[in-house]
Amino acid sequence: MSFKIATIADAETAAGFALAGVREVYIHEKKEATLAKLDELLASEGIGIVFITYSIAEELGFDFKRRMRAKKAIPIVLRIPDKTGRVPKVDELQEIIRRTVGAEIIVKGGS
Amino acid sequence: MSTDRILQFELARLNAHLPGQRITLKDALSSSNPQVVAKDGSKHKFERMELEYISKIVHADDWDKLRLPILIGVNPKLGRGAAEISGEVEVKVISQVLGKECRNPEMVIYRPEIAVVRTKLPTATQYFFMVG
Amino acid sequence: MAKTIGVAPTRMELLKLKQRVSLAQKGHDLLREKMDALVIEFFGIVKRIREVRAGTMQQLSSAYRALSICFAMQGTIETYQAAREVTKVAEVDISTRHVMGILVPVVEAKPIERHALTRGYGVHLTSSVLDEASREFERALGDLIKLAEFEEGAREIALELEKTKRRVNALEYVILPNLKSMVKFISMRLDEMERENFSRLKRIKAMLEGRE
Repeated sequence: MSFKIATIADAETAAGFALAGVREVYIHEKKEATLAKLDELLASEGIGIVFITYSIAEELGFDFKRRMRAKKAIPIVLRIPDKTGRVPKVDELQEIIRRTVGAEIIVKGGS
Repeated sequence: MSTDRILQFELARLNAHLPGQRITLKDALSSSNPQVVAKDGSKHKFERMELEYISKIVHADDWDKLRLPILIGVNPKLGRGAAEISGEVEVKVISQVLGKECRNPEMVIYRPEIAVVRTKLPTATQYFFMVG
Repeated sequence: MAKTIGVAPTRMELLKLKQRVSLAQKGHDLLREKMDALVIEFFGIVKRIREVRAGTMQQLSSAYRALSICFAMQGTIETYQAAREVTKVAEVDISTRHVMGILVPVVEAKPIERHALTRGYGVHLTSSVLDEASREFERALGDLIKLAEFEEGAREIALELEKTKRRVNALEYVILPNLKSMVKFISMRLDEMERENFSRLKRIKAMLEGRE
């Protein structure tokens, strides 16, 4: 099935994605408005991927995390660095791996 | 007891991903959208690259004998970390992926080998948990 | 102890309990196999993420750089103008594949690298820095789409893995030991009752024999 791509970012990043042909480009200004847009995108049947910058996701904070836990599989939401290149200190993937491998060791010891 | 019910539920769910009907390699190769449908209606798409890889291993005469996905049979009786592959053509494919020789209609593979198979053929193979 | 059990110490109950132990053991072994398999799947996809992440981030950096240059040389207003005028055709095909009971996305970008003349921004805006920025972002987009597929897949597998692990642990450390100790208790109780019965019968027999 075909899906559209969306981006929630600052103006410059949004321009970049627009140049690449992304239709749904939303420029972040205020938290409430952006959350509303995010909800709209998450509920939309036609959106397949939403790219959002780490900065904005961080600013949205817990409201963002909650939506990520509750959402369906589609759209896929991927956080990306903006032009500053800043990424969060805690690498989520590493955390998941540590949790997985850590507990796996316990299970192995028990059997 | 509710734990028993949870257990029954989880066990029933173990194989829920398997298709009601598998398709032959022949049909998959000729289809424009090769996929199978699970009992709950969800779809599983086969990667063309994997199909082509398999078609080079299997003799064209056997293309209608090979059913996809190839099942990796998990049976706790084999011991933890072991699984079995059944079927002459299936064994041929898996042997080729693993770079070993096996003439039997059945073979047992172990965890590192399972990892290799799953990396090479992620959509053409599926786990099958033997509950019985 | 009898109060906490809530099950009558009969042979029937013992049999039922032993069946439950058997079911729980089988369930534990199978779910543990599922857990092992999920770990294989998880690390397989993590490997793919590692393979593409660095390259993707590099490409994205290039894209931002090219865009900065474009802003500087083409002008801010003109760049935004071009961004508005570009034909918006970036789309993805998303299908699904099964990984043991969960559905994981398979994402493919519809080919999006375009030519300066076909992008759609007005000819008066065409410039090499604009092309460069567009091209770099198109490439970045392609990489990011692949990364999105793997990261989402990893997330879903991790969730299922955690759930399965909890079940395995519950069975191994709580349910099975519990059931097994109940079996032991009832067995012992039954033996005890049988011994009591036996000695009672012996006494009755002795009494009856005494009478004769």
